[in-house]
Amino acid sequence: MTCKKAKALFSELYDRELNEETMAAVREHLRSCRECREDYKSFRKSLKVLKRFKILEPPRAHLEKVNRKVKKELF
Amino acid sequence: MQKMDTLECHLVEKARNGDSRAFDKLFLQHQKYLFNLMAQLTGDRAWADDLTQEALILAYQKISSFRHASSFRTWLSKIAINLFRNKYRCRPRHSSLCLEELRIPSCEDGPERTVIKRELQWCIAHNLQQHIPKNYRVVLVLRDLHRLSYKEISEILGWSMSRTKTSLHRARQMFRSQFIDGKCKAFAENYLCICEGILDL
Repeated sequence: MTCKKAKALFSELYDRELNEETMAAVREHLRSCRECREDYKSFRKSLKVLKRFKILEPPRAHLEKVNRKVKKELF
Repeated sequence: MQKMDTLECHLVEKARNGDSRAFDKLFLQHQKYLFNLMAQLTGDRAWADDLTQEALILAYQKISSFRHASSFRTWLSKIAINLFRNKYRCRPRHSSLCLEELRIPSCEDGPERTVIKRELQWCIAHNLQQHIPKNYRVVLVLRDLHRLSYKEISEILGWSMSRTKTSLHRARQMFRSQFIDGKCKAFAENYLCICEGILDL
């Protein structure tokens, strides 16, 4: 497997969406290619950061206000 | 795909037959998810409110066309995301999502770590809003923040599986490029986000 092909499959590797044969080939490439290994490490790290994104926890009163507006519009 | 539970199926059927109380219950089950989704996509609380509200109204009006081909949440997401995509050109120019509004889940940290965590949140929001184009942002948010499957995302966006995979990969590369490689000046100059240490918080 080439570096280009391996890098294009990072997302699916991360999500375990590859079939066993392809996954084994990408993993084998990562074992033998330091550059791709580092690249994949950085890829995973960025997703770890992204997954820390906790958006607003809307207060119940706020949700109720939106709910009231919807009801007013509909009924 | 997230399967509909029996209660939800029952509520959907009642709502389809005009039972407003059943629809009300469905509202409550999905309203918080919908608001979060819209807030993550828009980065603007007021706009997220408007889109959530419009999506719920539209869902009520269209519920008779819901055929159980997907989960109710997938169907609702599709309505809301279509609204977001259609109204994107008219979006507010200034985001109302500010640091003070970002609620940090854990209260056990000291003030310094709380500030850093809050800044990290701001940086992620900034990166999503300013550096990831709309369609890539949608796929990134659905997959990495809401853990929807590739199949669900394809259904919501009306894309082929292949397009979904390619777009998700590009979106993740964009995010990585901006965040980890420090291409966003705001991170480098004003915030601590590119510090390796923050990743271990």
